[in-house]
Amino acid sequence: MITVKGLSKKLPDGTLLLKDINFQVEKGEFVALFGESGVGKTVLLRCVNGLTVPDNGEVVINGDGNPQRINGKKGKELRRIRRRIGMIFQGSNLVKRLSVLENVMTGRLGWISPARSLLYGFTDKEVDRALEALAKVGVKHLAFRRAETLSGGEMQRVAIARAILQEPYLLLADEPVASLDPKNAEVVLDYLKPLTEQMAIIGVFHHLDIVRKYCTRAIGIKDGVVAYDGKPDVSPEVLSAVYGSRPPVWPVAAGQ
Amino acid sequence: MSVAALGAMIVHLKKFRKYVLPALAATLLLWGASTISRVDLGAFLAGIPRGITLFGHMLPPQWEDFPGLIGPALETVQIAFVGTVLGAALAFLIGLLAAGNLSPHRAVRELARGALTAERALPDLIIILFFVAIVGLGAFPGVMAVAVCSIGMLGKLFADAFEEVDPKPLEAMAAVGATKAQIIRYAVLPQVFPSLIANTLYRFDVNIRMSIFLGVVGAGGIGFHLVMSMRLLQYREAMASILVILVLVVLCEKLSDAFRRRILGQEVLR
Repeated sequence: MITVKGLSKKLPDGTLLLKDINFQVEKGEFVALFGESGVGKTVLLRCVNGLTVPDNGEVVINGDGNPQRINGKKGKELRRIRRRIGMIFQGSNLVKRLSVLENVMTGRLGWISPARSLLYGFTDKEVDRALEALAKVGVKHLAFRRAETLSGGEMQRVAIARAILQEPYLLLADEPVASLDPKNAEVVLDYLKPLTEQMAIIGVFHHLDIVRKYCTRAIGIKDGVVAYDGKPDVSPEVLSAVYGSRPPVWPVAAGQ
Repeated sequence: MSVAALGAMIVHLKKFRKYVLPALAATLLLWGASTISRVDLGAFLAGIPRGITLFGHMLPPQWEDFPGLIGPALETVQIAFVGTVLGAALAFLIGLLAAGNLSPHRAVRELARGALTAERALPDLIIILFFVAIVGLGAFPGVMAVAVCSIGMLGKLFADAFEEVDPKPLEAMAAVGATKAQIIRYAVLPQVFPSLIANTLYRFDVNIRMSIFLGVVGAGGIGFHLVMSMRLLQYREAMASILVILVLVVLCEKLSDAFRRRILGQEVLR
């Protein structure tokens, strides 16, 4: 479904952040990326959908039996690939002054003709789908509220609904629950988890018990390479190895 | 001389340099400039009785002129309105090019910024005379002049507003595969909307005054009537125009205020 091969990325200051990243993720997987902060997890996620351009290596997405290499793609071709890759940010990145419903419908922007989206807006059918997606994450009642009036957990659920509308093959989640309280984090994850029936999810997580409870696989990044790739039930030895000389700082469990 | 006295002297010297010298210099400059521009208090005082006489000639206003002034007054408002809308639309487009985060290229941004600065530097009067010269007298050159004169200010304010938007939603839109135009429509526009409206309404207030003044140089509207009456020494007619202008300015300001509150007021409340 998605293959990352020999990916490297240099920072503007010249440090080689990612040296040689290789992994493959299939539909149905819920992969946790972990590693010290500043190790390049976010950069890696951004390389997957082309928000950041890697220096070397390739990312191939194969959602419908027709593999697409994202590197070097521009304009329309890049947008065609991106429309089927969802992304959830730590801060939701909703348009605060639009309604919740409008925010969700922007998930369709890659699908509808630009002229129509600029002139007429969205069709009734698209509105229905957006409402359906909102219902799926349990916030349909907020559809006509302004996004800025929502709580952090509600915003993140709206961001998930936005991603659902993209009908993605792959969902990237950059610390989707890091700024939420444990209870809300669980709620958000409970809505994320079932999506793996239709897609693959790669997320950055810092709570070991979240990884254990929700993920099917964990990938540890250290010194620019994949240092661990295996079961989500990561052993203390692996943790200290991935987190280096410093003791592994896995914050206190969510929901406890 | 004791140390204390010396210290006091230094303080005095400092005060002298800080306050007395600049004050002297400013006085000298002002005196010099007034002499050159022939500021003559005597002439002004002598003119006061004449002013009172003139004012006397203006009263009572030519009441029967009022119905005939409504048309020109509306024309003045129309010139300001169409000019503002046209100017704001152009300023929006140029503002996009002049905003660092949305401009297609750095060079384009610098060019657009430069054009906006140049427009602001150019006195409005020159622009007005230019349009009167190329399209002749009437309301149309007025509309053009109002539009172009609005671009420099609105374009800069719009560009600054664009540059200050929260970039995160823009990135989220790019990530779903949206085009640049879609990103502007769905992520930028909602963020800058209140600022666009507020600045455009403010510019409309400015343009009403400008549109009145436009009549003076022959671009139609109520200003034209005022100038004609003054030239023909029809002071009572002129007074009627002045009254209409006063009412017009106050009315338009009230109107744009009400509009502002209606659109932006609910923003604040929600």
